Amino acid sequence: MKKYLLTIIISFAFSASISAETIRTTVNGMVCAFCATGIEKTFRKQSEVESVKVDLKEKLVTIKTKPGKTLSDAKVKEIVTYSGYTMGRIVREK
Amino acid sequence: MAMQENDETGHTLALDYTFTPTQAFGLYVKQEENGKDILMLTPQINTLIKRWNLPDGQGNIFNMSGAGLARYRDNNQPCLWTAFLADYESRRWFLSYEPRFVWDGDIEKSVWQRARIGIAPYLANYNELNTWIMFQVDHHPAKHDHFVATPLLRFFYKTYLFEIGYQSDHHVMVNWQIQF
Repeated sequence: MKKYLLTIIISFAFSASISAETIRTTVNGMVCAFCATGIEKTFRKQSEVESVKVDLKEKLVTIKTKPGKTLSDAKVKEIVTYSGYTMGRIVREK
Repeated sequence: MAMQENDETGHTLALDYTFTPTQAFGLYVKQEENGKDILMLTPQINTLIKRWNLPDGQGNIFNMSGAGLARYRDNNQPCLWTAFLADYESRRWFLSYEPRFVWDGDIEKSVWQRARIGIAPYLANYNELNTWIMFQVDHHPAKHDHFVATPLLRFFYKTYLFEIGYQSDHHVMVNWQIQF
């Protein structure tokens, strides 16, 4: 029984560590499609990033990372700032 | 980015490569009309001097400058031009002001200023067609203090921008821009 439980815990931990992450951040100053394109292109260039979705109405950028990869808050802020905008709140989910 | 403007001042083509988010370098060609038909050909540098990112808007000050050659009939002259663009844009409102200074050697020296106000009748998302209703005023102090008013429509879809307007001196204005 112990061995069975241990296998489940290890499998769960392993799958969690390689799962993709979804990062949502609001971006101040992102008001037009050209702004959105610049941010989208810069995020897409990151090797950790699987996909990027921009919602202009909510000023929200949703980044999905590749399995087992992540982007730190500092890195997300750096990319948003480099693109010429200001990062707002950030939310993460596995 | 490729951009073309056709209006009462003439025809402009600009091809720019944005090498950092605050600077772009490219080629500027302008065939002036409505006065001396001067052809200008210059490399161009665009600089974002200052940006204000606000929760519901964005303010910017840009400088665009070029130095190259101007041709009028058989007279080739060195030329310089510089323009400052100040704008504020929210999802609903657009305001801009642009003074431009041009020196075409001994052919012509000119100053020109443009102001724009715009409103988006509906708020579209990134993958939808954005539409703006705009009003533009151009002032040419060196050309008999000439004012030109232009009501126009701006259409924006992802990286494509298209503008069409009718100018008070009976020119049709057609501009487009593509970002790569």
